[in-house]
Amino acid sequence: MDSTSLFPLLVSFRLLLACIPLHLISGLQHDHQLSSPLTSYSRLKEGLWLYSHNIDPYAGGVFRHSPLFLSIFSTLLPPLPIVWALSDIVGAWALLRIWRARQRVGKGSGGRAGGLVAAAFLLNPYLFLPSLALSASTFENTAVLLTLMFASEGKPSAALLALAFSTHLCISTLLLLLPVLMLLVTSPVSQLASPQEFRGDLRTTCKYAGQFVAYWLVLLGASSLMVGDVYCEQSYRASLTLPDLTPNPGLWWYFFTEMFDHFRPFFLMVFSVHLVIYILPICIKFQHDALYASFLLVGILGIFKAYLTLADPGLFLSMFALFPEVYPYLRHPIVTTLVHIHAALLLPLFHALWVTEGRGNANFYYAASLVMGVAGGMGVVDACYAGLRIAFGDVAEGERNNWAVVQE
Amino acid sequence: MTLCVVQATPTIPQERYHEDLTIRPLTDGKVVTAFTFTTLLGGASPRDPRDAESSAQHYTLFPLTLGQILREYSVTELHLSLNAGKWNYNSWGFPDHPSVGTGAELWAWMADGGPLSVDDRWMGLRNALAGLFCASLGSLDDRRTSSPASAFPLSSVPFPHDSTPYALRHATLPSEHVCTENLTPFLKLLPCKSRAGLARLLDPQRVFDTDWHGLGVHVRSTEAGIELRLGAQAVFDPVRRSRGKRRDWSFQSLFDRQIDVACPVASSSTIHLVVPDIRGYNLSPEPVASNDTVNVYSPTSHVPLDIAMSWPEEHIFKYPLPPPAPQTPLSVKRTLYGSSQTRGVLFVSFSNNDHSPITVGYLETLPALVTLWMHTMKVDVGGIARDDLVSDMIYHPPLLLANGHHGPSTLQTTLTIPGKSTLRLSVDVSKTFLKYTEHPPDAMRGWDLPPAVLFPVLLLLDGERTNASLAGQSIPKRIYTPTLLVDLPTPDFSMPYNVIILSCTLMTLIFGSIFNLLTRKWTIVKMHD
Repeated sequence: MDSTSLFPLLVSFRLLLACIPLHLISGLQHDHQLSSPLTSYSRLKEGLWLYSHNIDPYAGGVFRHSPLFLSIFSTLLPPLPIVWALSDIVGAWALLRIWRARQRVGKGSGGRAGGLVAAAFLLNPYLFLPSLALSASTFENTAVLLTLMFASEGKPSAALLALAFSTHLCISTLLLLLPVLMLLVTSPVSQLASPQEFRGDLRTTCKYAGQFVAYWLVLLGASSLMVGDVYCEQSYRASLTLPDLTPNPGLWWYFFTEMFDHFRPFFLMVFSVHLVIYILPICIKFQHDALYASFLLVGILGIFKAYLTLADPGLFLSMFALFPEVYPYLRHPIVTTLVHIHAALLLPLFHALWVTEGRGNANFYYAASLVMGVAGGMGVVDACYAGLRIAFGDVAEGERNNWAVVQE
Repeated sequence: MTLCVVQATPTIPQERYHEDLTIRPLTDGKVVTAFTFTTLLGGASPRDPRDAESSAQHYTLFPLTLGQILREYSVTELHLSLNAGKWNYNSWGFPDHPSVGTGAELWAWMADGGPLSVDDRWMGLRNALAGLFCASLGSLDDRRTSSPASAFPLSSVPFPHDSTPYALRHATLPSEHVCTENLTPFLKLLPCKSRAGLARLLDPQRVFDTDWHGLGVHVRSTEAGIELRLGAQAVFDPVRRSRGKRRDWSFQSLFDRQIDVACPVASSSTIHLVVPDIRGYNLSPEPVASNDTVNVYSPTSHVPLDIAMSWPEEHIFKYPLPPPAPQTPLSVKRTLYGSSQTRGVLFVSFSNNDHSPITVGYLETLPALVTLWMHTMKVDVGGIARDDLVSDMIYHPPLLLANGHHGPSTLQTTLTIPGKSTLRLSVDVSKTFLKYTEHPPDAMRGWDLPPAVLFPVLLLLDGERTNASLAGQSIPKRIYTPTLLVDLPTPDFSMPYNVIILSCTLMTLIFGSIFNLLTRKWTIVKMHD
């Protein structure tokens, strides 16, 4: 089966899922693994209700979505599941286009592998479950993939606009700014096996950075015109100060639930700075392959982001499909997969034991979220290793007992 | 000496003190008693907050401690109630003092202006009252304060000279419990304390043993002057005291005391006994006045006074079956259901016991512990959605305050309940995850949510509601629903160090592994020589 028939099949499957009556899957909407206070569907509906009743939706700390959602869903169309399905399809299409750009295959060709790339996105349970729960993280992921797609295809304005949108939806995506700028001035084609120095034009990079800032400010200005500057307060600051301690698979919520009050600002700073720390080393080390650098940073976000949902590690796992060349160099893909499955089964179970059944306590869920963190960490570390290891090639078959490639 | 001062100051206001006791024996054997001690400070008016100078305060009957607080914070109108128990409107009817919400309730109207803001004065007022009444009123902070002006309207006479804006501050603390330490300062505000007059009957041992008991302090300014009404209500159950046998009662059996001394400074002292419809009882002594429904006694002329009521024909008291029809036109039930610790449904049902429709205001004030999902609000009568019965809906989300706290969320609407039917209102709620330091020491007990309030509304005969029979009537007094208990999800309280250690370990593990990979040099080594 080639991509020309597999992709339409997946699309129709996804559209079919969108037709499930909402009340059958309403349990998903309240699931803390699938949507966070920043992305949950019931909060979106509440925001729309408040907005239509002329109450400031950002006043109560309930609604933290972008004002763009308010304007789209209150004027153009109601928040129907089909919108999420379409966003998923666009995301899969963008992933496919990135893959084509990286493999330098034309449209229509690529065969079966192209279809598998789309399947890696559309059939990833970490991605389609949040999408069925109508979490706004679906739109964030699609915006990230569109950014990378336009950047891979060498369309700077479109890429920077898409990046401005995804940063507008989720401030943590700002981490991807540097690799996207690098990707714009270099090529998406895999350079992992033959690392070279960064040869992009620095002046052009700065120009693009300015362009991004301009787009972002325009979006912020548009939001401010619509609802005032409370949006930044409610959404951007929420990612930095964590006012809502609803549990999620990430590391922040229990840490700051249990944090002593006087250490809280310090550790909030540590957790935020810790995210930023990864940008430079990864971009320097992978300066020859900016797409791979952005892939690793997506993986970092999928572990350490504030208000993490399963959609964040899900994006990282689906993006693995873009880099088939590193598969032979992964050290423990099966163990990582098993730990992921372990965490994915434990999280809903322990969540239910704690808050629904009342038989477990918060530590159960915290332990499961730690396992999730371990799984995410194993994936990123392994991807990082494989991306570096590939440059040293293989030891010849007969010499494996005598020679090995190691780090000093 | 004191007398000289009083005579030398012509502006000393005329003070009058009345005391009143209303007793209502009910068909189910309970006895509702309501004490009202009214002190009128004739010719006085509340301090204008813009007046800087403070004149000396001389009172003979009016309590100085309370007068000083009212003066300091220039409070125009003050209502404080401390209650324990759930007022059973269906069997006991409307209470004589309408503020019967469980726990502490404080609301004050204050004129705006002057150097101190209304919120500053509100904070000072509640702290001063907390000291005066030994109650935790200090915790009625901005997390619990709202200003629902239509439910708690200004009943005082405003300043005559200009249109000063007035501001309302209202707060409830449902977990506050009234006890002896509140009654003692309460009795100290009376001119005769508990040594004479009707207050003689307020024996803490007995009052706090009742099914329902509450204290109230109500200050308002009238045309005649500042009026202070101190109220104490209690619902006694003589059947319980007689081990389920008889409903006979007397002052001696209810209060363990009788009125042996009249309060000499009381300008009037009356006892109203609302006689039951059913006959077959004996009453002693003879009332000084009576009509079909009320007997009046006067402890000033009749000391010692011990009113006793007995049913000599009845050997064993039987509870009336079936239970008597509800005493109020409207019955309200409020529940919070849902087994999850994260979500639930707030469900309120309003039953109209009358044949004509009733229109009431409904006020829900919830601390930010629970979030109302307003888009899920449903109103139905007999399973059929009736959004047309809801009007004038005002919703305030829990506002983020400057100190990082969230204020309460308030939902206020006007509901019209059709005759002889039940209107059901449901809203989804979600429960907040709190920091471990924000939980009380007994975190598993849960949090009390304040009662919802039903209040009378003025039925405007205009436009849409020209048909008065459609909107029907309203209720005569406020109705408080019982409080609710909400269990919030709790973290583990012994874990702070463990969580810091484990989370940080995981972060450093990943951070270290990645930087290890990124910084170390790759080489090819020979495995063995």
